[in-house]
Formats: sequence, C-alpha cells, structure tokens
Amino acid sequence: MRRFYLIGFLVLVSFDTFAQVCFKLTANHAMPPEATLDWVWRLLSTPWVYCAIACYVGAFLTWMTLLEHAPIGPAFAASHLEVISVMALSVVLFGEKIGTPQLIGSALIIAGIVCLAISETDAEKPPATT
Amino acid sequence: MSATVVTLWLINVLLDTFGQLSFKAAAAGHGLGEGAARWKAMARRPWIWIGVGCYVAEFVVWLAFLSLVPLSEGVLLGSINIVAVMVAGRVLFNEKFSPLRTAGILLVAAGVAVVGLS
Repeated sequence: MRRFYLIGFLVLVSFDTFAQVCFKLTANHAMPPEATLDWVWRLLSTPWVYCAIACYVGAFLTWMTLLEHAPIGPAFAASHLEVISVMALSVVLFGEKIGTPQLIGSALIIAGIVCLAISETDAEKPPATT
Repeated sequence: MSATVVTLWLINVLLDTFGQLSFKAAAAGHGLGEGAARWKAMARRPWIWIGVGCYVAEFVVWLAFLSLVPLSEGVLLGSINIVAVMVAGRVLFNEKFSPLRTAGILLVAAGVAVVGLS
C-alpha cells in the first residue's frame, strides 16, 4: 500500500510539472501575448496547449484517486511541491537562471508547504483530549 | 515586475480563489445524495458552473502571465493561491487556523514577497 501511495504521488507531481512546462511552451509559441482573438488562435494552434489540458485532467483523476485513501497532508504537499521540479526543469529546458531571491523565496515557500502539509495531517486525526 | 504582470498575477489569484470557493459552495451542504446522483445535484447548482468559468478564464490569464515571466518565477509567484484560498476559507467558511497552519501561510507569503519584490 505504501508503494501505491508513493507511485501515486510521483504520478501526481509529474502531471502537475509537465502541465506547467506545456503551459510555458504554449505561451512561448503564441508570443506576443495580446488581448485579441488572434492570440487565442495562436494558443489553440499549438499541440502543447492540449498536452497541458491532458496533464491537468490526469492530475485531477490522480488526485481524486489518491484522496480516496491517502491522508490529505502528504497529498497536499505532493500537489504543491511541483514548485521544485518545475524550477529544475525551467533551468534545463528553458535555460532560466535561478537568482538568490528566487532561491530564498522558494526555500520559504517549500518550508511553508511542509508546515501546511503537517497541519493538514494533524487536522485529520481525531481531536486529542486536552 | 511591470504593471501588466502585476495585474495578470492579481487577476489570476482572484479567479483561482473565487473558482475554488465556488466549487466548495457547490459541494458543501447536505442532501446532495451519493455517487452519480451527487454529481447531478451539483450540476444543477450555478456555483459549479461559476467555478468552471473561473477556471477557464484563469487558464487564459495564466498563459498571458507565463508569456511575460520566466516559468521558475511564475510557479513561485503562483504559490500565493495557496494563501489566498486558505484565508478566504477562514473568512467565508469559518475554517480554523492552527499555529502550524498560520506559520505555513506566513512562510509561503514571505517567500512570494521575496520573489515578487526582487
């Protein structure tokens, strides 16, 4: 069962990560962004936008399956920790530079997500007698 | 960040939060039944369609946002959605904040501020 969760979380993070990468590829394809139908057509004319939608649907279904059995805390963390994998892929695929503010900011955000995940897990347990 | 980027970011947070709250409103309450009947009952509630509309709009706004910022920065700034939804949940649905939850929210908000103000 532990293995089921582990694989489930990995699948969830992968879907979320690839959705964001596909979003970025879609945005790059449709440059420049403008409030016109032309831009919307450029968005819809790249296969990446459909990959992004497919990843979203995949993530949704994985999330719903996991939530049936998995505790909400780790599930919550896994669904937001894609921040790390997306940053890593941004460097590799798009040659983005991660500066010091981004490093500090991401460390704070990740610490916050871990706190939230633990607090969600605690909330799941029956209230302790005080 | 330019004014356009900030505007798109704010619209994105608003749409995401309003969408999430709409879904919550659609799913909340008793008497919805179970299984397929529950989904049918929810589909009759306007809230679920308002939620779907918000998400479709958010999709477009997010693409415009990502056209203007690097992806690594975009996902970090997007983390503010977690904070906004939890704060709104507290205000509107009276959800409780434990000290740990408050700490988590403050850490995420601080992280977004560091990235956004740099």
